[in-house]
Amino acid sequence: MAESDIVKQAGLLALEEVTFSAGSVSILQPVSLDLHRGRMTGVIGPNGSGKSSMVRLVARQQQPTSGTIRLDGRPLDGFGDRELARRIAYMPQFTPPAEGMTVRELVALGRFPWHGALGRFSLEDREKVDIALERTELTRFADRLIDSLSGGERQRAWLAMMLAQDTACLILDEPTSALDIAHQADMLALVRDLTRERDLAALIVLHDVNMAARYCDELVALKGGRIVARGAPESIVEPGTLEALYGLRMGILPHPATGQPLSYVA
Amino acid sequence: MTSRRVLLPWAAMAVLAAVLFAWKVRDAWPVGGDHLQWVILQNAVLPRAAVAILAGAALGLAGLLLQRVLRNALAEPSTLGISAGAQLAMALATLFAPALMIWSVGFVAFTGGIAAVAIILALTWRRGLEPVSVVLAGMMVALTANAASAALILANGDYLFSLFIWGGGSLVQQSWDPAVTIGSRLAIGLAAAILLLRPLAILGLDDASARSLGVALHASRFAIVALAVWIATTVVAAVGVIGFVGLAAPALATLSGARTLGQRVVAAPLIGAILLWLTDGLVQLVSGVGGERLPTGAATALLGGPLLLWILPRLRMMEWPSLSTLMAASRRAARPSAIIVIALVALFGAALAALLIGSGPEGWSVATGSLLADLSQWRAPRIVVAAAAGAMLAAAGVMVQRLTGNPLASPEVLGVGTGAGAGLTAVLLVNAAASLFWQIAGAAAGALGALLLILGVAARGKFGPERLLLGGVAIGAAASAVITAVIAMGTMTSYTLLTWLTGSTAQADATQAWTALALAVMLVAPAFLAVRWLEILPLGGETAKSLGVPLKRARFAVVLLSALMTAAAAMFVGPLSFIGLIAPHLARLVGLGRARDHLLGAVLLGAALMVLSDWLARMVAFPYQLPVGLFASLIGGPYLIYLLSSGARSRH
Repeated sequence: MAESDIVKQAGLLALEEVTFSAGSVSILQPVSLDLHRGRMTGVIGPNGSGKSSMVRLVARQQQPTSGTIRLDGRPLDGFGDRELARRIAYMPQFTPPAEGMTVRELVALGRFPWHGALGRFSLEDREKVDIALERTELTRFADRLIDSLSGGERQRAWLAMMLAQDTACLILDEPTSALDIAHQADMLALVRDLTRERDLAALIVLHDVNMAARYCDELVALKGGRIVARGAPESIVEPGTLEALYGLRMGILPHPATGQPLSYVA
Repeated sequence: MTSRRVLLPWAAMAVLAAVLFAWKVRDAWPVGGDHLQWVILQNAVLPRAAVAILAGAALGLAGLLLQRVLRNALAEPSTLGISAGAQLAMALATLFAPALMIWSVGFVAFTGGIAAVAIILALTWRRGLEPVSVVLAGMMVALTANAASAALILANGDYLFSLFIWGGGSLVQQSWDPAVTIGSRLAIGLAAAILLLRPLAILGLDDASARSLGVALHASRFAIVALAVWIATTVVAAVGVIGFVGLAAPALATLSGARTLGQRVVAAPLIGAILLWLTDGLVQLVSGVGGERLPTGAATALLGGPLLLWILPRLRMMEWPSLSTLMAASRRAARPSAIIVIALVALFGAALAALLIGSGPEGWSVATGSLLADLSQWRAPRIVVAAAAGAMLAAAGVMVQRLTGNPLASPEVLGVGTGAGAGLTAVLLVNAAASLFWQIAGAAAGALGALLLILGVAARGKFGPERLLLGGVAIGAAASAVITAVIAMGTMTSYTLLTWLTGSTAQADATQAWTALALAVMLVAPAFLAVRWLEILPLGGETAKSLGVPLKRARFAVVLLSALMTAAAAMFVGPLSFIGLIAPHLARLVGLGRARDHLLGAVLLGAALMVLSDWLARMVAFPYQLPVGLFASLIGGPYLIYLLSSGARSRH
C-alpha cells in the first residue's frame, strides 16, 4: 500500500520537459505535467495549440522530440507494445468505421494486449468484455454491426473496448466532437464515473470549455504548444485566462443550479 | 528566381539530349560521298530524333488534356488502357481485316483506343468519373486487352510477333512519314488546346462549378477526350506504346512551376519532348553496335517507375469522397461454420466436375472407368494447380485488404502480380532455361519488391488508401512495360513470358501440381497464425498501436506472406485473375466477417472459382484452350464494375 501511495504522490503518468516538433515546426514547447489516478483531466485550447499532439505522445502514438514521459516512474520507451497497451488505452480523434464488425467483436479486441496474437481467449477475457458491455449499456446491442449504430452508440462501443482493455489510464482525443449535446453529456458523465469507480487516470481533449469545466476535475489550457494555465475548472474559466487563451473577450455567468462558472462570448 | 532554378535542369537535359543526338549524327556522317551513309542519316537518324521529339510532345499534350478533363492526376494513355486497346485493335485487324490495316493503321488504333476509353467512362459514369475508379477500370481494360493480344499472338505464332515489337515502342525509323503524321496531329492538337483553353480551365473545377459557369459539360469533355485519344493513338500506331511520358510530363510541368493552364499547355509538350528525346538518346548510347535490346518505350517505363514514386507524394489531388463507403454493410451469417462447409463442398464439386466432365467433338461427355483413369493424368494436375493458385491469391487478397483497410486492394490491383512478372522476366533474361525454383524465386523477389515499394511510399507520403491504389496501378503499369519490352525482343524468353502473361495451366504436370500444392499449404497455413492481427489491422495504425499490436513486425509479416503467395500463384496462372479481389468479397458477401472465417472462406471460394474458371476455359472454346487467367479476369472484371457502381448507389 505504501508503495502505491508514493506512486500516487508522484502521479501515475508524468511528462518531464516534453517537446515535439514536426520537421522544423515546433508543436509542443517543453511541457511538464502529472496525471493522477481517480482524476479526469481535460485539455482545452484553440485549434493548433498542440492538444492532440500532447495526448498522442502520452499514448506513445508518436515519439517526443525531447524530454521523457514516465508511467509508474518508468520511461515509456521501456514498455513493450502489449505491456503498454495493458496500462494505457487510447481513443483517436477519428475512430475508423469498423465495418462488418459486431459490437462484441470490437469490444473483444480490447483483450488483445492480454491474450496476444496466439493466446487463448480465456474465460476472464470473456468476463471483462461482458462487464465492459454492461457498464456502457451496450449489452443489448452486442450482436449488432457497428455500422448500424448511431454516432453516440458507436462512440460508447469504442469506450467499451477501452474498458475491456482494463488499463489504468484512459486517453481520449475529442471523443465528443461528432455527438449532439445529449450524447456529449452522457459520454463525459460516463468517463467521469468510470474514473471514480475504477480509480483511473483520464486525459481527455475537449473543444467545449463549458463541457470540460462541467465534467473534469482539472483543466490544462494549451496555447501555442505551451501550458498557459492549469488547475480546477473554476480557476481556468474566468475572463482573463479565457481571453489569453482564445484571444476573444469572454464573460462568465454562474450556473443557475450548481454555481459553476459558465463562459460566453462577450 | 525559382522559375530560373527549375528551368535549369530542363535546359541541361535538353542540351544533353542534343549532344547525344549530335554524337549520333557525327557517327552517321557520310565520309567521302558514301551514298548509303547519306541515306541512313537522312531516313533513319534524323527522322528518329524528330519522332522522339514529336511523340514526346504529343504524349505530353495528350496526358495534360486527359488529366485536366478527368481531373485525375494519373490519367494518361497507358493507365487509361488507350494504348492497350489500340494494340488489341491492331492485332485483331491484322488477323481478321488486313485491308483495314493497309487502308489506315491510325484509324484502327484510334478505334481501339476510343473503345477502351468509352468502356472506362461507361463503367465509372455512375461514380462521377472518380479518379480511383477510372484508373482501376483503366487497369482492368488494359490488362484484359494485353492478355487478349498475347493470346492472339500465341494462337497465331510468328505472324503477329512484329506487332509486339511495336508494343515495346521502338523508335527505329525508315522514313519521315511517322514524323510527319505525328507532327501534323500535334499541331492540330495544340491549336485545339489553345482554342479550348477557357473551357479546359473550367473543366478542371468540379462539375457543379463548371456547369454554373455555363460550360456545356459533357460535350466539351467528350470532345477533349476524343482529341487526346486521337493524338495518343497516332503515336501508338506510329511507334507503339510509350509509357509514362504522358503521365510524367504534365506532372513535372506543374512541379516545375507552370501554374496557369496556358503555361502548362506549353510546358507539358516541351517536357515530354525532352524526356523522350533524352531517353531515346540514352537507349541508342547503351545499345551500341549490336542492335537494340531495349525498345525506347520500355526504357521510359523503367525510368518512369522511380520518377512516379517521387512524384506521387508531391501531387496535390482533388479530394474526392472516400472509398471507404464502398462496402455496403454486410450481413453476418448466424453459423459461419455451416457456410464454410458449404464452401468446401463447392470446391469439391468444382473439382469433381472438372475431373469428370469434358468437351469433345460430340459435345460434352462424362468420363468414367478407364477413360477417366487416362484423362485424369492430364486433368488432375490442372485442377490441383488452379485450386492452389486460387487459394493463395484469395488468402493474399484477404491479407492485403485487411492490411490496408481498403476493399478495392488486392494483389493484382496493387501491381504485385505484374511485379512478380518483372522478377520472372529478370530471371529469364539471365537464363532463358531457368528451373522452376529459380523462376519462383525471381517472381517472389519481384512481387516483394513491388509491394514493399508501394507500402513504403504509402507510409512515407502518408497518403490514404486511394493513393495507395493509384501508386499500385502505376507500379503495375511500369512492371508490365518491362515485360512487354522483353517480349518484344522476340527470343525464346518471349514465348515463355507470353504464355505466362495469358495465364495458362494447359502444360501443368505432376511436378507443377505437387509444387503448387506444397507452396499453397506452406504459405496459407501461416496466414492463420496472423488472424488476430488481421482482425485489428483494418481499424488503422492508431488503433492497432494502442491495442499493443507490434505494428511494424505485423505489417511486414503480412506483406511478406502475401507477396510470396501472389508470386507463387502468379507463377502458375499469370498476373491477372482478379481472384484475389473477388474471393475475399464473396466470402464477406456470404456472411463471413471475422478474420479467421473470412480467410478460410475466401481460400475455399478462391480455389473453387479458379478451378471453375480453368474448367470453363477448357470447355468453352473446344478444341481451343483459352488461358485461365484471361477467363478468370473476364469473370472478375464485371464484378469489379458491380462493386464500383454499387458503392456509388449506397452513398447517394
